[in-house]
Amino acid sequence: MRVSLTWLKELVDVTLPVDKLCERLDMTGTKVEAVHTLGAALDGVVVGQVITKEQHPDADRLSYCSVDVGADEPLNIVCGATNFEAGDKVPVAQVGTTLPGGVTIKRAKLRGLVSEGMMCSPTEIGVGGEGSGLLILDPDAPVGEPFAEYYGIADTVLELEVTPNRPDCLSMVGVAREVAAITGATFTVPASAPAEEGAPAADLVSVEIEDGALCPRYTARVIRGVKVGPSPAWLAERVAAAGARPVNNVVDVTNYILFELGQPLHAFDLATLAKRDGVAAVTVRAAREDETIRTLDGQERRLASDTLLITDDDGPVALAGVMGGEETEVSEATTDILLESACFDTASISRTSRRLGLISESSLRYERGVDPDLASRASDRAAALIAEVAGGTVAPGLVDAYPGQRAPLQLRLRTGRVNALLGTDLETPAIATLLRPLGLSAEGSGDELEVVAPGFRPDLEREVDLIEEVARLYGLENITSTLPGGGGRIGGRTSRQRFVSRIGSVLRAAGLDEHVGYSFGDPADLDRLGWELAPDELLVELINPMSEEQAVMRWTLTSSLLRALSHNQRRGIADVHLYEMGTVFITSEGRKQPKERLMAAGVLAGSWVRPGWNEPAPGLDFFDGKGVLASLLEALGVERWSVRAAERSWLQPGRTAEVIVRGDVVGWLGEVSADVLERFDASGPATLFEISVPALLKAASKVTTTFKEIPRHPAAALDLALVVPEDVTSERVVSAIESAGGALLESVRLFDVYRDPEGVEDPERRLPEGTKSLAFSLTYRAADKTLSDADVRPVHDKLVRKVCAVVGGEVRS
Amino acid sequence: MTIGEDLRALEAESLTAVEGATTLDALEEVRIAYLGKKGSLTAILRGLGALSAEERPEVGCISNEVRRALESALDRRREALERIARASRIAAEAVDVTLPGRGRPLGHQHVLHQVVDEIVEVFSGLGYRVAEGPEVELDYYNFTALNHPADHPARALQDTFYVRDLSGDTAVVEGESDVLLRTHTSPGQVHVMESEKPPIYVIVPGKVYRRDVADPSHLPQFTQVEGLVVDEGVTFGDLKGTLEHFVREMFGPDRRVRLRPHFFPFTEPSAEVDVSCGICGGEGCRSCGGEGWLEILGCGMVDPNVFGYVGIDPERYTGFAFGIGAERIAGLKYGVPDLRHFIEGDTRFLHQF
Repeated sequence: MRVSLTWLKELVDVTLPVDKLCERLDMTGTKVEAVHTLGAALDGVVVGQVITKEQHPDADRLSYCSVDVGADEPLNIVCGATNFEAGDKVPVAQVGTTLPGGVTIKRAKLRGLVSEGMMCSPTEIGVGGEGSGLLILDPDAPVGEPFAEYYGIADTVLELEVTPNRPDCLSMVGVAREVAAITGATFTVPASAPAEEGAPAADLVSVEIEDGALCPRYTARVIRGVKVGPSPAWLAERVAAAGARPVNNVVDVTNYILFELGQPLHAFDLATLAKRDGVAAVTVRAAREDETIRTLDGQERRLASDTLLITDDDGPVALAGVMGGEETEVSEATTDILLESACFDTASISRTSRRLGLISESSLRYERGVDPDLASRASDRAAALIAEVAGGTVAPGLVDAYPGQRAPLQLRLRTGRVNALLGTDLETPAIATLLRPLGLSAEGSGDELEVVAPGFRPDLEREVDLIEEVARLYGLENITSTLPGGGGRIGGRTSRQRFVSRIGSVLRAAGLDEHVGYSFGDPADLDRLGWELAPDELLVELINPMSEEQAVMRWTLTSSLLRALSHNQRRGIADVHLYEMGTVFITSEGRKQPKERLMAAGVLAGSWVRPGWNEPAPGLDFFDGKGVLASLLEALGVERWSVRAAERSWLQPGRTAEVIVRGDVVGWLGEVSADVLERFDASGPATLFEISVPALLKAASKVTTTFKEIPRHPAAALDLALVVPEDVTSERVVSAIESAGGALLESVRLFDVYRDPEGVEDPERRLPEGTKSLAFSLTYRAADKTLSDADVRPVHDKLVRKVCAVVGGEVRS
Repeated sequence: MTIGEDLRALEAESLTAVEGATTLDALEEVRIAYLGKKGSLTAILRGLGALSAEERPEVGCISNEVRRALESALDRRREALERIARASRIAAEAVDVTLPGRGRPLGHQHVLHQVVDEIVEVFSGLGYRVAEGPEVELDYYNFTALNHPADHPARALQDTFYVRDLSGDTAVVEGESDVLLRTHTSPGQVHVMESEKPPIYVIVPGKVYRRDVADPSHLPQFTQVEGLVVDEGVTFGDLKGTLEHFVREMFGPDRRVRLRPHFFPFTEPSAEVDVSCGICGGEGCRSCGGEGWLEILGCGMVDPNVFGYVGIDPERYTGFAFGIGAERIAGLKYGVPDLRHFIEGDTRFLHQF
C-alpha cells in the first residue's frame, strides 16, 4: 500500500517527523517497507522568469534568452521552444541537474552561444502533458523557488506492508485511522452527499443477487450527462501517487475512492447495458457452463462455473470484483453511468483472480475483505465527485440489495485473559482507552469489556483478536521479558537423535565434509545409474515441480553426491570427500504419503591431501571407502559386520561390495563405473557408499559394551605367509585362522598380498600359477603368563596345518 | 731421572694428549696408549715390582696419583667430547619448523547444520526436546490444523509443491492432492500436540520446501527450526524473554532485539523478530538496507483455533511458537550473499565454516 503523506495529512493531523512515524508504524504491525521522496528527482529545477528573448544569430529555430532564477546574475539559456514570451515564468533546470529522463544539464555551447541551463517542458520534468512546448507557470509563481515545492509534487510516499488480516489498511482512511490510533492524532472520515435530481435511479436500474453468500451487498447509482475527459490535475496526481495510471475523470474517481476509502467501484456505460422496459437489470450470479466474457484488457475469457459475474439480460458484463467487461467500459462517448459499489465473497474473488491470473487493486481488496457497510457511503462520495469533475447529475437514490446485512459482532474481553496471555498488568479502563481510537466501542467496568467490532475490521472475531490489538497498541516493547517457569520438562536430543548426529561426527573425523543437497531427484537418473526399483516401488512424483530435473523426490543420495563431485571437479577441485545425511523417498500404489528413510552416504575422489614436501598423496580408492565405513561401524559399536562382493549397476564390477551387519544388507560401497561418471560429468576413480541409518541404528542397538581386562603379559607375534589359490578371499583365510587359533590367538592382521608380476616366465616365478601369497601377523597372548616359544610354537604349527587344509594353501617358503 | 720423575713427565705428557684429543675415537687411542695393556703407564706400573722396598711405597703413591689424574682427565674429556657430539647431532637434526606439518584432512560440518546444532544447544539448555516430522506432509498438518483458511494463497500450486497421492483419495482442498512437501516445520507443532499432553517444550528442525526459483535470495528448499511451548501460564512476555535469550546466544550479548507485531494464521498475537544490525549497530547501513535492524524470525502465541484442532483447552493452557530460518541465521552471521552456496556442495564453501 502506497501512502502519500500529503494526502494522509489531509485526513489525520499527524505531526511526527517521517522517521518517527515510520518507527511507530513498524512497531505497531504495519511495516514501512520503503520511503520514497517524490520531487527529489527535480532537485535543481527552479521557477524562472524569462527576461529577454532574442533570436539566435546562427540558428533560425533557437532563441537566446536571459532568465532570472533568483540568483545574483540571470542565466543565459539557448532554447528551442517557441511557445513563450519574455516575462513568462517557466521551470528552469540549472547546470548539474539530472532530469527524470536521465539527462544531466551541462554548460554547453549551442551554435556558438553558451547555454547555462534548460527551460523545461512538462514531459522533461515528468509532470505529464504532451508536446515540446515549455510548461508555462502562473504569473505569480515565485522566482527561484524549487519547482517541486511550488508545483506541489514534493511529497513523501510510504510503502506499507499490510498484513492479510488488515484489509482496512488498504485505504487512506484506514491508514489514517491507524495512524491516529498509534500517535494520538485526530482523524476525520471524508464524506459527501451528492446533489440528486431527475428520475430516481430505481427507475433506471434494478439489482438482483442470486446467492447472498457470494455477494452480501450490491449497490448501484446512476449519474447522467457526464462528460468523460481528462481528470483535473489534483485528481490525476492523487491517483498516480497511489500507484494507478490516470485514465479519465470517471475512472479516476473510482480509483480515487478505492484508494481513499478502500471500496472498489466499477463504472459501467449505462447505455451499453441491456434494458428490460428501459431498466438495466443487473444480476449477480455464478457463471454458467462455457460462458465467456471479453474483459477490459481485450482478452476473451472462458469462465469456470463458479466464477462470480455481473450480468445484464444479454450475459456477463463484468467479472465481479476482478475486472470489467470491454463492451460496457466507460469511453469518451459515455454520458450515463451506472456506478457499482458492492461487496463480494473473499474466497470466490480470490479463486477467480488466481485462476485467471488477474490481480487488480479491486481483487486485492475483495480478497482480503471489504466492509459491506462501506458500499453506500463510498457510492455517495464517488457520485458527488463524478458530478464535480465530469459534470452530470446524480439520479436520486441508491439501488441497494443487501442480503448479507449483519448486526455488528459483540465481543467479550476479559481483563484477566489479556494479562494472562500477554504477561502484563493492565487495568480495564486502560485497555478500553487503547482500543477506542481504532473505532471500536469498548464499554464496561470491573474486569470485563463489551467490545463492538466495526465492519471495517473483519479480523476482529474473537477475544484473542482483541488481545492482539491491545498488545500492539500497548507496545510489545513495553511487555516485560520473562522465561516460562513451568516444571516437568526434559530437554535435549533423544538417543536416536544422538546416534544420528554421531554418524556425522565420525564421518567428519574420518575427513569427510558435509554436503546438503536437494531432496528433489531427476527421474532420468534411473537410467543414468541403471537403477532398478523393486517391483512394487514407485518414485514420489511432484505434481508441480520446478523443472524436469527436479520432478520427483530423491530415492538415493547417490545422484546428489555425484552432482556435488562434478560441481567441484569442474571447478578444478580434485580432492573431494563429501558425505550427506538426508531423507530418501519411495512410495507404492495405494500409499498416501511415501516411506521416508534417513540415509548416510559418502563419496571419495582424488586424495586425502595434496602431495606434500614430506609425504606422497596416494589416490583414494575402494579401500579408503571401506576404511571410512570401518571407522564408522567401529565408532557406532557395530562389531560384527562384513562385506561381500556384489553388483550394483552404477558401480564398477569387481570393485563393489555390500555391507552386511548380522546377516542384513545395510548398504553398499564401490567405485563408480566410468560410464556413470561420464553421465554425471565427473571423473574417477570415485568411491561411493550409501548406508541405511535405521539399519545401523537397529544393529547398534543390539550392542552392549562391557569392559575387557587390559592385558598384563606381553604378547608373542608370529608371521604366517600362505600361498593360496586366487579365488580364496582374505576374509576366508582370516576366518580359518580365527577358528583354528584357540584361546591363545588374540588377533590376526593381514600385512601383505603378493602376486608374481604379469608375464613372468616359469623359472623366474616365485609362486605357482593362479595363486597369491597372503602374509599375516598373528598375535598370541595368555591372560595369566608370559608365553614362551615352547608355549606358542606347537599351537602355531597346529594352526598352520589346519588353515592350510581348510583353505587349500601352503606355507610360503 | 728417577722413576718418580719419569712418572711426572708421563703425567704431563698424557694430560696434554688427553686435551689434544678432539674426537671420542682419538681419546680412546690416548687411553689405550697410556692405560691399555701395552700402555706406557701400564708398563711403568708393571715395573714397580722391580723396585726396592724403600722406593716402592713412594713410587707406588706417585703412580696411583698419576693414574687417577689421567683417568679423571679422560672422563672429563670424554664428557666434553660427548657433549660436543650430542650438540652437533642435534644441530644436524634441526628442521625448518615452518615447513608444513603432516596432516589428515579435517571434515567440516555443513554450516546450516552447525547453525541448527547451535539452536538445538540453546533450546536444550532451556529444557526443550527435539522432535521430527515427515517432509512429505498432509495438507491437514501443513495448513488446515494451523488455521489456514481453505482459500489461503499459500495453498496455491504456484507456491506449494504437491505430491501425487496414490491412495485413491479425492483431494479435499487443492484440486489434485492433499499431500505436499511441508512449507514450514510448523506441522511438527500439530504432531507433537496430537501425541503429547502439556507441558510441551519442543523444537523441530528440518528441511522445508516452497516453489521459489533458486536465486541469491531464494531456494526451493531450505531449513527451519520450529519451536513450541504449551504450558499453564505461558505469556507473551515468556516468548519475548525466550527469543531475546536465543538471539543473544546466537549473535552475541551486545545485539539488541525487537519484536514487531505481525500476522501469521496460526499464532495470535504474532510478531516478527529483528536483531540490531551487527555492522552498523542499529544506525542503518548498506547491509541492513538503512534500517538498522535485520528480520530473523516469526513468532507468536498459539492461536486458540490451533488448540481446537488438537483438543487442548485454550482456557487452561497457553503457548507460543516460533520458526527460525537456518539459512537466514547463517547468512546474517557469516555474511553469505547468495543462498545457492548452501546447496552446491562446493568444498571451497564448506571449508570456510
